[in-house]
Amino acid sequence: MSGRRTGQVLLMLAGLIAWAVQFTVIYGVTSTLCGRGWADATLFGFGIVPATIVSATLITFAATAVAVIWSIKSHRQNAKRPAATTDGFMSHVAILINGLSLVVILWHGISALILPACA
Amino acid sequence: MQSALDPAGGDASRIYWLTMTMTVGGILIFLSVTSLLLYAIFAPPERRAWLGSRRTIIYGGLAFPIITLSALLPYGLIVMRDSDVPKAGALPIEVIGEQYWWRVRYPADGDRVAFSTANEIIVPVGRPIAVSVTAADVIHSFWIPNFGGKIDMIPGRINRLNFTAERPGIYRGVCAEFCGDQHARMAFDVIALEPAAFETWRTEQAKPAQDPEVPLLARGRELFRAGGCGSCHAVRGTEANGQFGPDLTHVGSRRTIGAGQFPNNIGTLAGWIANTQHIKPGVRMPSYGSLTGEDLRALAGYLESLR
Amino acid sequence: MNAPERPGSFGEQEPELPNPLPRPEGEFEALKKAWKAPRGISFITAVNNTYVGLWYVGTAFLFFILAGILALIMRAQLAAPEGDLVSHDLYNQLFTMHGTVMMFLFAVPAVEAASVYLLPNMQAARDLPFPRLSAYAFWAYFVGGLVFFGTIFFGLSPNGGWFMYPPLTGTKYSPAENADWWLLGIGFIEISAIAGAIEIIVGVMKTRAVGMSLDKLPVYSWAMLVFAVMIVIGFPAIILGTLLLEMERAFDWPFFIAERGGDPLLWQHLFWFFGHPEVYIIFLPATGMVSMIVPTMAQTSLVGYRLIVLALIATGFLSFGLWVHHMFATGLPKMSLSFFSAASTAVAVPSGIQVFAWIATIASGRMKLTTPSLFIIGFLFIFTLGGLTGVMVAMAPFDWQAHDSYFVVAHLHYVLIGGMVFPLFAAFYYWAPVASKHALSERLGRWVFGLMFLGMNVTFLPMHITGLIGMPRRVYTYPVEMGWDALNLVSTIGAFMIAAGVAVFLFDLARNFRFTLEDNAGNVWNASTLEWLPNGTYNTRSIPSVVSRDPLWDQSNLSKDVEDGRYYLPGTATGGREALVTSPFDARPQYILQVPGPGWQPVLAAVFTAAFFLLLTVKFVFTSVICGVLAVGCVIWWLWETDPGPVRPPADIGGGIVVPVYVTGPMNHSWWAMIVLMVVSGMVFTCLIFSYLFLWLVNPGAWPPQGVRIPDWIWPSLSALLYCASAVLIAVASRQLRGADRRNPRSVPILIGVALLLVSGAAAVDLWTQWGTNLSPSAHAYGAAVYAIVSLQIFFVLTTFIMGIYTIARWLAGRLDSVRRTTFDNTMLFWYYTVGQGLTALLVVHGFPRLTGGI
Repeated sequence: MSGRRTGQVLLMLAGLIAWAVQFTVIYGVTSTLCGRGWADATLFGFGIVPATIVSATLITFAATAVAVIWSIKSHRQNAKRPAATTDGFMSHVAILINGLSLVVILWHGISALILPACA
Repeated sequence: MQSALDPAGGDASRIYWLTMTMTVGGILIFLSVTSLLLYAIFAPPERRAWLGSRRTIIYGGLAFPIITLSALLPYGLIVMRDSDVPKAGALPIEVIGEQYWWRVRYPADGDRVAFSTANEIIVPVGRPIAVSVTAADVIHSFWIPNFGGKIDMIPGRINRLNFTAERPGIYRGVCAEFCGDQHARMAFDVIALEPAAFETWRTEQAKPAQDPEVPLLARGRELFRAGGCGSCHAVRGTEANGQFGPDLTHVGSRRTIGAGQFPNNIGTLAGWIANTQHIKPGVRMPSYGSLTGEDLRALAGYLESLR
Repeated sequence: MNAPERPGSFGEQEPELPNPLPRPEGEFEALKKAWKAPRGISFITAVNNTYVGLWYVGTAFLFFILAGILALIMRAQLAAPEGDLVSHDLYNQLFTMHGTVMMFLFAVPAVEAASVYLLPNMQAARDLPFPRLSAYAFWAYFVGGLVFFGTIFFGLSPNGGWFMYPPLTGTKYSPAENADWWLLGIGFIEISAIAGAIEIIVGVMKTRAVGMSLDKLPVYSWAMLVFAVMIVIGFPAIILGTLLLEMERAFDWPFFIAERGGDPLLWQHLFWFFGHPEVYIIFLPATGMVSMIVPTMAQTSLVGYRLIVLALIATGFLSFGLWVHHMFATGLPKMSLSFFSAASTAVAVPSGIQVFAWIATIASGRMKLTTPSLFIIGFLFIFTLGGLTGVMVAMAPFDWQAHDSYFVVAHLHYVLIGGMVFPLFAAFYYWAPVASKHALSERLGRWVFGLMFLGMNVTFLPMHITGLIGMPRRVYTYPVEMGWDALNLVSTIGAFMIAAGVAVFLFDLARNFRFTLEDNAGNVWNASTLEWLPNGTYNTRSIPSVVSRDPLWDQSNLSKDVEDGRYYLPGTATGGREALVTSPFDARPQYILQVPGPGWQPVLAAVFTAAFFLLLTVKFVFTSVICGVLAVGCVIWWLWETDPGPVRPPADIGGGIVVPVYVTGPMNHSWWAMIVLMVVSGMVFTCLIFSYLFLWLVNPGAWPPQGVRIPDWIWPSLSALLYCASAVLIAVASRQLRGADRRNPRSVPILIGVALLLVSGAAAVDLWTQWGTNLSPSAHAYGAAVYAIVSLQIFFVLTTFIMGIYTIARWLAGRLDSVRRTTFDNTMLFWYYTVGQGLTALLVVHGFPRLTGGI
């Protein structure tokens, strides 16, 4: 697999990978903090649990948004030049996957606004 | 008698409305999808052509679910936030799941003393209840459908379940997690009483057992002692203080025996003692089949008198 | 590296195919001879995908019927309250076996089996890349599965429910061997599933028709690719789980015993991290089948191909974020639950995309109401309902009520029967003409569908209510006054309707199914994909070049041209079995893979593997070990004949393309397989590290517990040094194995030998260090976790050891040199992996307790 192909695959899966990272971080941090009874700790005045969830959500959301823009760009380029059909296909699927990931990442963030930290 | 569709508490009705919303919404979506499918198959080609494009997938498969679920998910989370919430002034109850029955403890509550009972939970109407659960052997799950969801009883962990009974009545709870041979026969009664009646019950339960006055019952008590029943069962106020099995101090006052299996009377008690392993094979208590009919009546009568 | 010559003209200038010239005399005969199946008793040594695939599908279907019969007995017991048809003990075995057999012996093997048959045909590959591996996977499953099922006749079947929650399944509450049958029996059937997954991944990526680039890949191949990757990620969790529980049962290492620092919830995490993706592992291949059948029945191209690919990939990912939704009632913080609620909600979106893609496809064509179509319509109906109840149980508060009640029983059967069994029956009716002289009967098919569809809904629709009015699952009987009687009776009647439908299907099979390859019924549905090309044991006479997703519709005369050998590789270049390996993205020809033919080795290896596990279960340790050694011996015997080297110069495969018959390095198919195996191993190890951290989390202040001393840092450092040194030696050996003189330098076996001593030394030092601190594996979960990590590492070092010895033997036998070095490459990759895992293990075991310092 050449470097270019690896890049294409990574871009195609970027949103879902970002989601996986977000998921691991928010679940891991919540479990550890709640499990150790550190739920009441604060970070700059915010509860540490919601602060982690919100920031993990924002960061991964931003990363995915960048991936969406990249995949749109690369799709435009593929449309312009006489590229192999595989390239156009992969950049198009990349747009779809990254776009859907934006929604999924947001859905995982909203709990921080609704639920108490560790109850 | 035991139904999530007949809520008798705040949490249960909150969940009930979530259920109804999702059921109705689900049925509507189901009907729309199947109608579209049938339309796609049977409508004349020129009339169904609009359906045969990527647009259909984008609107029906992507946009619609995202919009609907974006509304449903926060609703679900809000119901979750508002259900099973610990409240100040709640009545604490401890329940321990054992193969295949429920050990129930009422810890001291203000100036009211602690006591143990089994397979029956009595709660006052209107006062929040805070149940702490765990298990003595394997995993069980504590479920009273009319009052709300279930909570697993896990060895080494203490879980909590909060609910409030809103109308008096007799309800039923069951073990929902498979726990071995007699999982099917592990239930309990839940009785919601008016606060005053609850206080009376509580006072009665905290008292030790009364000595029998009738000779037959005294004989039953003697058989209970001689038979070694006290090595597993406790009858407060007597020398019987076993801790393996259910506390029998006021067993006669309970609605059912065998962990919610049979109505409680002399006949069923006698049947139970003589045929435990036949009625509920695999429970810890052996059958006492060698007792004569008269002894059995005396013993059952004694137990029945423990009110 | 021995890269192929660049296929010069390909891509820039269309090769002149189909080639109109007549084929040389004897070419076709040579091809047929190479692929001829063995006869007589040796027939069972056949490894060709069509034979193995058919046996595999047949065996899986047998288990469907057997597990179905168990369900009928249960339904008969529950027809009325206080039923006494079977005892509580038998009933508990029945439902455990029903779930276990349906999931592990029917559903996963069935979809894997179907793909062993279909995938190469659909991609116009001659065979799967590792035919002997599929044969091994099949025979291990066949022997092991039948023995496992047989336990029900002796009252020895597992009886703890198909998810086997400890402590109920621990020694204290299940002292008999029933639970061991589950742990060991299922343990190795998982290994068989992983073998199949490796095969499928490499098959989809590397053996396709020329020009079948990723955007032209059949949806089924996409589905199987995602399926196989999910197995590779998900199954290690359950393999580790069964290992830990079996170690607890056999050696009293308390992973799940709360009194000694273990936690029953650890099992639930490991089980469901596998168990939830498992549902999608079963479902995705079925949707792949649906996406193949719908376009044919509507006689139009699939609408929304890219959206479906999105849906498959997204489902594959998201399904790993759902596992805790089986644990909503375990008392975890609401915040944690909410993440799984969100993921469970999100996974509904890709399913919606697929459903609407099929509706759009149907609308854009003209659906013929054949039996496969009926099953597809039934599938859409049932699965949509199951999906909607799935969204309901994704909402944690609702699930607190529904969990472990008959509502969930209804939901899971809607999803699994709707999502997998109905598509599978559609597939039986649809693809039967590929494997049989006659198609199955349309008239009987309607009866099968009608009975199964009605029966399914009559059985399971009422259960939604039964559950909500309080009936818990897994009860062998229920009291009279609960109001569940009528609903249960209806369910029982429905179950027997399903059975009647399956019986009619069996009758149809007996009447019409006649296995054949050369004179099959042919393309009766006018389908568009390559499995409908004329075929034989060699699959297609020549390997076509495709230009669209519907080659049979878009490329006129394709069948005839392929059959007359006018495309690639119409004969055999080496005189033996071959497959054409293509590049993973654009499917350009890369090299000719010399495919192994029939042999006793995979059959014997499988039988001995099965015997090893089964005898271990009944504690015949000595005989079991002998079988284990024999199994390893058979595998080595089998491998010895592989890695043939460049037996001839690069060959012309037609169209002016010349490709080598042997390559090494990252282009090689077994390199890919080794990478996948490393991912599997890495996942097992990751799950073990997760378990270690999880146990830390539940043991505040006791990590390590009081009185346990952490070894001095000098010893792990020494161990790490030895690991690194051994890896360096292997790297040096690899560098030296690159000269023009193929047999030089002579130092290679010596380097490997010394590296072997170092790597063994590293593992020995670590074991000795732990032993020296008097750490007991059974006193506390800490010790158990540490020894589990050390033991797993020792297992990997032992495997590396065997591979190293084997590699040296290849060199000494003259079967390994600087060109023919695939064996060395595989050993090298595995070596690096073992070293990497060893270093991580040292870091965790010795570093983590220091870092946290008893927090």
